[in-house]
Formats: sequence, structure tokens, C-alpha cells
Amino acid sequence: MKALDVQNLVKTYHDKAGGVKVEAVKSVSFSIHPGQIFGLLGPNGAGKTSLIGCTTTLEQPTSGDILVFGESVIHNPLHTKMKLGVVHQEIINTGFFDVWEILDFQSGYYGLHKNKERCDYLMHKLSLYEHRNKKLKQLSGGMKRRLMIAKALVHSPKLLLLDEPTAGVDVGLRESLWKFVQELKAEGMSILLTTHYLEEAEKLCDQVAIINKGQILFCGSPKDVISQYAQKKLTIYLKDGSRKEFNEHANLGLNEILNKQQINLSDIKDMKIEEGRLEDAFSKVVTL
Amino acid sequence: MTIQTQSIDSAQTRLVIFMTLVKREIKRFMKVIIQTVVSPFISSFLYLLVFGVSLGGSVQLNNGLPYLSFLIPGLMVMGLINNAFQNSSSSIVTSKFSGDLEDIRVAPIPHGYIIGAMGLGAVIRGTVVGLITGLVGAIFHYMQLGKALPLVHPLWTIFFFIVGGLIFSFIGTFIAFLAKTFDQLSAFSAFILLPLTYLGGVFISIQNLHPFWQQLSKFNPLFYLINGFRYSLLGESDVDLQTSVIVCLLGVMITFLMAKISLKKGSFSRW
Repeated sequence: MKALDVQNLVKTYHDKAGGVKVEAVKSVSFSIHPGQIFGLLGPNGAGKTSLIGCTTTLEQPTSGDILVFGESVIHNPLHTKMKLGVVHQEIINTGFFDVWEILDFQSGYYGLHKNKERCDYLMHKLSLYEHRNKKLKQLSGGMKRRLMIAKALVHSPKLLLLDEPTAGVDVGLRESLWKFVQELKAEGMSILLTTHYLEEAEKLCDQVAIINKGQILFCGSPKDVISQYAQKKLTIYLKDGSRKEFNEHANLGLNEILNKQQINLSDIKDMKIEEGRLEDAFSKVVTL
Repeated sequence: MTIQTQSIDSAQTRLVIFMTLVKREIKRFMKVIIQTVVSPFISSFLYLLVFGVSLGGSVQLNNGLPYLSFLIPGLMVMGLINNAFQNSSSSIVTSKFSGDLEDIRVAPIPHGYIIGAMGLGAVIRGTVVGLITGLVGAIFHYMQLGKALPLVHPLWTIFFFIVGGLIFSFIGTFIAFLAKTFDQLSAFSAFILLPLTYLGGVFISIQNLHPFWQQLSKFNPLFYLINGFRYSLLGESDVDLQTSVIVCLLGVMITFLMAKISLKKGSFSRW
């Protein structure tokens, strides 16, 4: 059974004032298998948050369906919501409660009465324990982000939706969060992730989909997208002191490149190869 | 740690969800107790002092009741309904503002539970304010008239506390989910709730009004709540108990449906 199965999803917004229809998501289909980290990559306004909104029921799909572990978010929203954990893109700023109360309420929303052990585990794991009696406004931006992740995990969801969880977070924290995401994957959790940090998506994700203007332009492994769309950069230093630079298709082998460029191996003094990156492939796909 | 989820079909899970929402509501208004309980208490105290004690002596009611006795149940209901309305509407609006209404939306919480929990939280806050008003009123009553404030039908008092709190909590939920700005929310309070309260018999008996206004007052649903509550305390009012009970129960049903519709049609998204 698929962890997430998006079937011909369409989301159209109506601007009542201008009478304009905006198609944020245009008949999108893709699926996530259990235990996978799936990266949904796209520029701002590509339709990523609308897609997540439809999955969480914050948005009503115009047509199509989304299945979470086989159950429809339209027909069985309460069942699908039990299986979902959501980290919203924007930080939630409730001013009334402290960290512990927020996690306690969040547990209660999922029917968990005594969930102290899990909350304590998450607070320790995300370095929030010593701040458990602080109100949200007393926390730094990074702590607030970590709290949002802890909230999404209190009920041990089977599918975690991370909508740009590291936006505005410093490098150290970002690294620790990605490490934590990998640990969650090792526990068996399926993860849908949106991020603008493509280098990290390349390292983390088993599958990626590149979305732009509401349409999926590519879906496959990061390796596949790189081999199809990125180029490797080759700099060759020849024995005669000259230097040659080539941008070649990422999946071409060295021999093929040298043959193509008519360079003998015996003429080469040194060389530098820069492998194709997801970032290059992404730029190429979204400008196609 | 293994991945294990609760079943939403279990009654225990649903009970925990509902009680969490109620607990959150109560904790929320207790955290701002100055604004939610102390401030209404001061308002009620001043109303009783100015209208009940200072001016009350010069007001003659047709049914012969001392004006202070007449006024206290009205002020108790006014405290109840204002606070019930404020509790649910401000809870929803502040949650829209902070964004945590989105957490409630993405959690497996049926709409009826949200409305019910808001209602229960509002009944508790409204009842606390109503009882404090009643307590202060009872002290004034004893000091001014030399006798205790009557409580003729206590079970009906509880009934009207509950239905009054629920009706105005549901209205607050309805308005808050549909509102797109703070202005829309305060417009309802200023242009609808306030006139209905003042013309519903908090300060005056309709028997003292011109027949035209007497007839018009009978179209004000608050008139039945205030008079039903007054009957429960004093044993007499401008309208019979049965009519008050029927109108209030209809009010609960209609406003609950309105709140349900607003959750379906309204927005959980942040402002």
C-alpha cells in the first residue's frame, strides 16, 4: 500500500473580486512508498503548499483525490489525519501556552491522554526540554521550528509532511534537523518534504518530483534527474600547459568524453571533474 | 520507538480529543483572568451600584418588585451571554491570528467537537461571571433590602445558564469562523448583540413600555432567555416559563446548526 497516492489532483482558486481563476495545481499525480523520503521541489508559487494543503484538508481539492495509506482525504478525512503529521511552512505563534502545554494539547488532539514519555523524548531529541516551561514568544526562531516538528511527531504519524521546515534556520540546526529526518526514516516513517535547499534534498530524498506552475515536470530519483538534465564539468590540464573545459551530459563516462573531444589520455597532465548537481538539473527542468 | 497510531473510531480517543479542546479553552481564559473574569466583575459591580442602588429607589415596576431584585438576574444573564460570546469568538479569532487554528484543522477533530468544546468552555466562563455578578448582587440586595436574594427554582437557573451560554458560544463561533477582519466581529457585538441585550429586558420590564415596544420586544429571542432566568430566581417574569424554555431550546438547535455551517464554509486559515 502506498503511503501517499495523489491522483489527478486539481486545485483552483477563485479570486471573487477580480473573477479570475488561478489553477495552482493542474492534474497532478504521484505516489510515495512507505519508508521513503520524497522531495517535492519547485520555485515559489509552484503549487507545493497547495498540494500539502489538500493533503491535510486545509484546502479542498477542486477535483481528483489523495489517498493516505489507502484512505481518501476527501471521504475519510478523520482516518487520514490520524496518520499524518504536518509541519507548516509558517511558524504558529500561539501566545497563551508554554512548550509543554502545546505538546500536551497536540497529543490530546490525536486522542493521546498520557503522552508524556513521547513528548519528553521529542523535547530531548530536539533540544527543547530545558525550554519546556517557556512560552512561544520567549523562544528563538530555531526553537520555534523545532517545536513545530515536535508537535507534528507527538502522535508518531506514519506520514510526515514537512513544508520547508528549515526556512530561516541556521546551518548547524539545519544539519541536525536533516539528521533527525533520516532517523525518522530509519524508524519506518514516510516523509514528504518541500525545500529550497536542493543540495540537501539530493542527499536525503529517495525520490523527487519537480513541480512548476502547478504541473509535475519530473518524478524520479535524484540520480535520474541529474543524469537526464544536469551536466558534469570537466577541466583537463594538458602536458603542453593548456587547459580545456567541457560541460558534458552527466551520465557520459570519461572515455566517451575524451573520445568525443579527441584527447589522448597520454596528453593529460591532470584533470578535475565536477559532477552534475540536482540544483543544475532543477534549473534546467523548470526552465524547459 | 515504534510507530503506532490511535484509532479515531474508539470512543476513548474521541473523549480525549473533546476533553483536550475543553481543557484548552478553560486554560486559555484562565491565563487572561483579568480580562475574562475580573473586568466583567467590575462592570457588573458598577451597574449594580449605579442603577441598582443609587437610581433603583426611584424606579417603580408594575409588578411591585424592588428594582434591585429585578436588575440582578438581568445583569447575571448579561454577564453570561457577553462572556460566552466573547469566549468562543475571541478564542477562534486569536487562533486565526496566531495560526494555531490550522493545527486544529489538520488534526482528526470532528467539527461538532470543536463547537461543543467551545460551547462548554463558554458556559463555564459565562457561568463564573454570572455567579460572581449574582454574588455581588446578593450582597447589595441584603445590604439594601435587608433580605437574601431569592433563588426559587435552582434547577431552572442551571438550565438557563447552560442554554444561554451555549447559544451565545455558538453565535460567537458562527461569527468568528465567517469573519475576515476584527471589524466584522466587533460590528456584530455593537450593532446586534448590544441592542438585543439592552432591549431584551435586562434593565426594564416590558410592562413599563408602550404596547408597541412590548410587542416588538417579543420578537427578541433574548427577551425569553432573560425572563426565563429571572423566573428561575424570583419566581416571576414577563413571560411564562414554558415559552422561555421552548424558545431557548430552539435557539440552541438553530445556533448549533449555524455554527456547523460556519465551520464548513468559513476559514481556518491564518489572518
